[in-house]
Amino acid sequence: MECSELTERVVDRLTEQAGEASLRELEDHLAACVACREEALLCERAWSGLEGDPEAAPTPEFRRRTLGLIEDEMLRARIREFKPRRSWPRFAAEAAAVLIAIAGGFLLARRGVIPAPATASTAAASASPEAILRDNPRLANVSYRAGSDGKLEVGFDVTSRRTVAGRPDDPEMAKLLAYLLTRNAETAGEKSRAIELVSQQYRPGALASPDIVSALTATLRKDPNPGVRKKAADTLAGFSSTPEIRAAFLEALRSDHSPSVRLTAIDALAASAAGAPDPNTIESLRERAQDPQENGFVRAKAASALRNF
Amino acid sequence: MKSAVSDDRELLGRIKAGDTEAAGELFEKFAPALLRFATRLLSDRATAEEVTQEVFVKVISRAHQYDGRAEVSSWLFAIAANACRDRRRRDRRATVVPLEGLPEPPAKGEGGEKRLMDRQQRDAVRRALSCLSEEQREALILARYHDMPYAEIARVLDISVGAVKTRIFRAVETLKSHFAEGAATWNAAN
Repeated sequence: MECSELTERVVDRLTEQAGEASLRELEDHLAACVACREEALLCERAWSGLEGDPEAAPTPEFRRRTLGLIEDEMLRARIREFKPRRSWPRFAAEAAAVLIAIAGGFLLARRGVIPAPATASTAAASASPEAILRDNPRLANVSYRAGSDGKLEVGFDVTSRRTVAGRPDDPEMAKLLAYLLTRNAETAGEKSRAIELVSQQYRPGALASPDIVSALTATLRKDPNPGVRKKAADTLAGFSSTPEIRAAFLEALRSDHSPSVRLTAIDALAASAAGAPDPNTIESLRERAQDPQENGFVRAKAASALRNF
Repeated sequence: MKSAVSDDRELLGRIKAGDTEAAGELFEKFAPALLRFATRLLSDRATAEEVTQEVFVKVISRAHQYDGRAEVSSWLFAIAANACRDRRRRDRRATVVPLEGLPEPPAKGEGGEKRLMDRQQRDAVRRALSCLSEEQREALILARYHDMPYAEIARVLDISVGAVKTRIFRAVETLKSHFAEGAATWNAAN
């Protein structure tokens, strides 16, 4: 064995992966070479120097939260999007109905009769979304589709299959989306999906409907799942800031258990207060930046936001 | 008697079939090790907890992708190593204020002295690990704290056995200097 092989051989011995022959050669060499003996001692000291790291066991809180997430994810994995197969006669009938509607519209327009603009409309149902939601029904097999002209189509089963179409800012559609988020979604997976749907419907900086804002701020305040709260926070952060949104972020910054939610709250508060920071925002950020118990990243971000003011 | 490896594969099979209890068993079995791995790699307990949660969520959603070539434990550690790398990348982009100047929370209450000593030891180890490159740290942590053989580390990190040995070798070389410098400073101060 050469002196140049020493560290490699010692590392093999420390990781218990040296063969018998290699170990014997190493020991013979160490017995004969003083410099390598000292070098080997340094390697062993470095290896044992890593011992003083206490093992970090999962806390009961971490266990509870993670098992909750796992359960939600298992449920989510079982949910498959409902896609009814389309039969040819039905497809032909629908196509004919569309053609008749187009022709009717064209004739009405030529005669100068303009129908009232449609807001959220229901297909295969005479009742409005408000009437459907009056009794707090459980909406099953919810499916979403981006329709034409920025409209959204939300399909679901109540007593029969319904489809509601409308722009996300139509009051009726906003009510339906808020309902799906706050009352209908039961698992974290369903809630996340509903939030994603809402977030896809708004351009960054858009003014969201009050129903949507209330639903998301309630989710941010109350949902037990940090992943869902983070999604709600991300979506709210994308909206044009309002006093209700700012209040929810201030509360999240003060009391949310998840550092990632608090980080999003800092970003959102800093962005909304960029021009004229209000005393509440400054005070809350200062508290976070100076709290020695706070997560390092949160403290750093709060300090950075304050510095930018 | 069944081996631990076939037990783990059976657990994953049950998870694929939608058995929530099996997912809980997988958590109980691997969460402590994965959490320790992530904590040592990321040096931040809260972030490590989030990453460990992400790992389990990914394991469930990707259970059908497990092809049985590697052991389940190697597969889990590979997902964890990737998740830690992603997190570090994201945090590097997001963090703009250096953390060195921020004070640590004071140790309070009963057993404060013991906690203080634990923290000092932990900080010493973290300082030592922070001298290493990310690649060296990953390989060394798996070898030092998880007793993984070179071949398994190679599967987890998706590199050759030779590369694993080189990374650990270089890590030990760096640590040798680090601890030697530390001892010299201590001797000079006393």
